[in-house]
Amino acid sequence: MARKSKTSAKPGGFVSTTVEIEGRTETRIVEMPAFEPAAWDDKAELGIVGARVPRMDAPERVTGRARYTADITRPGMLHAVILRSTIPRGTIRTIDLTRAAKMPGVFDVMGPGDTPAGTRLFAREISYAGQPIAAVCAENERAAQNAADAIAVEYDTLPFVVTFEQAAAKDAPKARAKGNMMENAPLVMNRGDIESGLKAADIIVRREYRTPVQLHTALEPHGAAAEWDGDRVTVWESTQGIFRTRENVAKALGVPLSKVRVIKDYMGGGFGAKNGAGPHTYVAAVFAKRVGRAVRCLNDREAEQTDSGNRPSSVQRVTIGAKKDGTLTAIFASIDVPLGISGWEGGPGQIYHEMYACPNVRTEETFAYVNVSGMAAFRGPGYVEGAFGLEGAMNALATELKLDPLALRKKNFTKREPRQGRPYSGNNLLACYKEGAEAFGWSSEDRSPKSENRIRIGRGLAAQVWPTGGGPPAYALVRMNSDATIDVLAGTQDLGTGARTVLSQLAAESLGAKLSDVRAIIGDTESLPYTGNSWGSMTTASVGPAVRMAAEDARSQLFEAAAAMLDAKPGDLESRDSRIVVRDTDRSMTFADVTKKLGNVMIIGKGSRGPNPADTAIMTFGVQFAEVEVDIETGVVRVLRIVAAHDAGRIINPTLAESQLEGGIIQGLGYAMFEERVLDHSLGIVMNSTMHDYKIPTMADIPRIDAFFVGGADPVANHTGARGIAEPPVIPTAPAIAAAVANAIGVEISEIPLTPWRVLAALEKKR
Amino acid sequence: MRLTVNGRVHELDPAPAVTLLELLRDRLSLTGTKLVCDRGECGACTVQLDGEIVYSCLTLAAACEGADVLTVEGLATDGKEPSLAPLQRAFIAKDAAQCGFCTPGQLIAANALLARNANPTDDEIRAGMSGNLCRCGTYPKILEAIRAVAAGEFELKPEARKPEAGAARGS
Repeated sequence: MARKSKTSAKPGGFVSTTVEIEGRTETRIVEMPAFEPAAWDDKAELGIVGARVPRMDAPERVTGRARYTADITRPGMLHAVILRSTIPRGTIRTIDLTRAAKMPGVFDVMGPGDTPAGTRLFAREISYAGQPIAAVCAENERAAQNAADAIAVEYDTLPFVVTFEQAAAKDAPKARAKGNMMENAPLVMNRGDIESGLKAADIIVRREYRTPVQLHTALEPHGAAAEWDGDRVTVWESTQGIFRTRENVAKALGVPLSKVRVIKDYMGGGFGAKNGAGPHTYVAAVFAKRVGRAVRCLNDREAEQTDSGNRPSSVQRVTIGAKKDGTLTAIFASIDVPLGISGWEGGPGQIYHEMYACPNVRTEETFAYVNVSGMAAFRGPGYVEGAFGLEGAMNALATELKLDPLALRKKNFTKREPRQGRPYSGNNLLACYKEGAEAFGWSSEDRSPKSENRIRIGRGLAAQVWPTGGGPPAYALVRMNSDATIDVLAGTQDLGTGARTVLSQLAAESLGAKLSDVRAIIGDTESLPYTGNSWGSMTTASVGPAVRMAAEDARSQLFEAAAAMLDAKPGDLESRDSRIVVRDTDRSMTFADVTKKLGNVMIIGKGSRGPNPADTAIMTFGVQFAEVEVDIETGVVRVLRIVAAHDAGRIINPTLAESQLEGGIIQGLGYAMFEERVLDHSLGIVMNSTMHDYKIPTMADIPRIDAFFVGGADPVANHTGARGIAEPPVIPTAPAIAAAVANAIGVEISEIPLTPWRVLAALEKKR
Repeated sequence: MRLTVNGRVHELDPAPAVTLLELLRDRLSLTGTKLVCDRGECGACTVQLDGEIVYSCLTLAAACEGADVLTVEGLATDGKEPSLAPLQRAFIAKDAAQCGFCTPGQLIAANALLARNANPTDDEIRAGMSGNLCRCGTYPKILEAIRAVAAGEFELKPEARKPEAGAARGS
């Protein structure tokens, strides 16, 4: 049953609570909700929550009616194009905008010094190739591009660094004035004592793992349209966070929050890279102000692939100590990450501390700034890279100890979150191991390759953990119209994840309404209550409880109104399929009967997300098994099969949640097999910025995927019982595939992507 | 020049450099078809031109004189009563669209595939659809949807030729 939050705060009072966002823990002061709905545990009788309801906005998406930011047009709208630097470091000596300004169709041109300082646009100092240096606004994109091409720029070039080694070298050119190393020191996380842990070990394995830069490659590029009405600006933005975008725009342009409206209806993928405003937003907004017309600015594909964020590469030197029976005694990792010109410490280290029971764990992560476009959060940031190192080393340890890698993981299962010793809200990882192994047909004996043919089959596995509790603040309203249709209002975003559907299901269930009467209205800062960014797999667990509470509040009001009409007490009423029944009688009326009588007297339910349970770790767990075939003559790997078993608490819509699992696995497969940004080290530019040269998986690359959920509701996490699921499935896929390839060819894999030449190089080591 | 788009005849005068995609999106406001890579690598802009699939981002509008174009907006037209095509209903039922940005191109590619080969094997579907990229990873669901349509699972019965009864609509 639900553990009570260790707070005595009364409804309306304010309490402190912690929220984990992509591995970062934030403390927030939050008001206690007016009431807390009873948690839905596994015994709760639910009909709409848990049902395989079709995605409610799918009709819009399959007819072309869904309007994305890239489809926004406004009367008289102009188009802006950004000119970007072609050198990685230096200074703009001269930039001549006059010719561009006179080109046909051009309305306005901006360069260094022409935008408010808060936009940080068009600096003369260049610190990476692709940095915006000027922009053109014209009647169409073609005219704007032609004019941008006519801008003459002369640079004074400076020496630059694009790799970690270059950045770390003595007397290296400075990517940033304050130095190339973040904080000038590694980020150290430690528990216990590594030295004594290694002394206690019967066996020590030392390995080095390398992961590539992965590009988000969302099909809809970053983009915005902006239009001013007097001193108020409306921004249409393809974003995971409308309120954060509003904050960014208000701050950059020096405009009050109340005068910035951000709208996002549909978006074509984000994956972590679209968490706020960017250069395109400011360019659109500033031009729109200067020209007095709406302006749209979309990244072209090259800009999207080279200057919209990425998952940074890593080198992870891992040392693991263990007893003969596999009990871990020490985990140590020294990690290098070149972030690009900007970024944050969402590094590979965290998962080393969180996955297994081990008394002594230490990570030392060094983050370097280099003269390349900055990183951004990318689905499971840090944990994806870290899992490749940690799970690779665990598989190496299993091989050395001649232990079943699954048994090794079960042996080191942790009953409590190992960093602070907190209990989990729920943890079915052992059940994931069991059910995943059964579904895959995992056997500890039957894994070594028997074939002497050139096609070798191999099997491998890897596990995953990820913080997914979500948390406050998040608010929602549930409004009943006079015809008993129901509007769910929450200022959240649907990235293609299914938020509209899931929130509608929660509202319909709580109200006892027909799902077809419910519509979720999201994505507008001006008319909707605040919710946070859709990042960190947090939307369902953050906004869901607020929507449920708002719907319960609306139902209470509806019952109050209906009680008089039915000559009953509110407490004797029940609702289902938009009908109110007096318990144990045949007296009933439909929602519409009630709302019709009320006319435009509105029922408006209000909900907010309460604090998280105190001292509790809320995580999603899982394991994935991979089967591959490797052609040892050509080095070509084909993934044949992936089995994925994950525990994310209650699954509100299994169909949509399975789509999240499959999507994560497929991005993980791309990371394992093909995806790698290639830099020209002598020029400091990206070599593969097209979708032909940067390879993401196609339908022809997809194996059989059997992805499912294990366990049930998690009523401790929050009163809906749901945790997050979007990011966890991408985490273990690459190490599972690498383990399967290693099993197939009898050589450990230490670097991805597993392109044929890399596999052949691994085979060469064996000979 | 004359161009038929989704059964409607248009008299147009595109500039020489205008692509079919620009004509559809900017001139005819048919924004279902998407621009993604702008160089024929991703399939998001796929339309049918006289039945054949083409990348509309690489097709010059002026070269399409007299042609018949089908876009995602034309799939649902069924006589006078609008109704979703079996492929569209299958994509909804199988959850074959996440963000949906590639979906119009996927649908048109699938439509052309099934017109060429009414009973494709899974490998034929994979080969036929591998020119259409999806970053959300809906491929298994797209495969299922096409397979189901080929098996006749989503054929419209004559009496059912009306808008989806009871289908939930968000917006």
